[in-house]
Amino acid sequence: MYRLARIPVLARGRARSFASHSGSPLSGPNTVGPYQVFDRYAKRLQKDRSATREGGERSRTTDYVRNEVAERMIERLLDVKRKFNSILDLGSGPGHLSNLIESDITRKVVMLDSSEKLLHRDPDEGFFDTSVERERIHADEERLLDVVAPNSQEAIVSCLSLHWINDLPGVLVQIKEALQPDGVFIGAMFGGDTLFELRTSLQLAELEREGGISPHVSPMTDTRDVSNLLSRAGFTLLTVDVDEVHVAYPSMFELMEDLRDMGESNAIVGRRGFIHRDTLAAASAVYKALHGNEDGSVPATFQIIWMIGWKPAPNQPKPLERGSGKTNLKDVL
Amino acid sequence: MNSATTNSTKPLRRFAVSATTTCAAQAEVYGKCILATYTDVKKDACKEEFAKFGACLRETLKKKW
Repeated sequence: MYRLARIPVLARGRARSFASHSGSPLSGPNTVGPYQVFDRYAKRLQKDRSATREGGERSRTTDYVRNEVAERMIERLLDVKRKFNSILDLGSGPGHLSNLIESDITRKVVMLDSSEKLLHRDPDEGFFDTSVERERIHADEERLLDVVAPNSQEAIVSCLSLHWINDLPGVLVQIKEALQPDGVFIGAMFGGDTLFELRTSLQLAELEREGGISPHVSPMTDTRDVSNLLSRAGFTLLTVDVDEVHVAYPSMFELMEDLRDMGESNAIVGRRGFIHRDTLAAASAVYKALHGNEDGSVPATFQIIWMIGWKPAPNQPKPLERGSGKTNLKDVL
Repeated sequence: MNSATTNSTKPLRRFAVSATTTCAAQAEVYGKCILATYTDVKKDACKEEFAKFGACLRETLKKKW
């Protein structure tokens, strides 16, 4: 395959060379190809910057959402009664989830992220159970199979990274391919109603002040779609559910500052790189009026879609054939 | 990098304080106006309310607006 560069530098205006992944927009930033919603190059820069701002301190203080979700994910991982040789953490960031994995779950953790600075933000000492071996791979999450061999992984986990993936169906297929038969995938991604307060406030403010709207909050995957996508990718024994994290902020400005420090700034293809001060002030007022809490703070909702899927294997439990039941339910009920 | 960050953060910080604290009363009036019309909001639906809010912001931020 095309392994010249694992992460192509998608400089704007550069002509696309033909022996390359066709994922990048063909021309200007406003041209949208199939499955091109997010500007992955901008996202990587945002993440790199978030990890280096004030020596990583800002990034560490805004870990609260990811840490909360990582803790919930560990519970799900512990439900799998199996000791792994190696777990792949896709889109690991500095290791919110990996840091919680202990040696009774796995012998080794492989962290993979497209932001090198974020990947190396924290040293191993003091952050990590050192009896677990750790490897870091700097690679694009969207091109997993370039760095991971098919049928090689016992378990793949992904904690709050899939919401920046352009081709979600394709990445789920790659995850399935990378897993060994009977391997498990456990994922958590932002979706559904995530940040709907910010979305609606900015839309109303922009509409009332400027007379139109532009994308500020990413389009979100719906819960319904996720189960379809998982089964389309070929996973079996699916579990999909939804969970929410609510955070209260003093005002919209603190929320936006924290989002930036989380590396979660807007990275939609064709976004405006500019927001008028009037609109910003208006949005803050609307946010408070429409969604504000009684104590004067404003809430932000993070909705998390959980997904668990297994790669099919002959020795897996399967539903019995239709009509093979011997007990009449009439007798039981 | 660091100096650029502080330079870009401070004016925004000042702006945030003006928008949420100093001009909180005008912001509330504007917010209530949107709240009353948000099912059918048009451009300049709350123009007068925003004019007062904006005037307060301009007054507090002076040249830094």
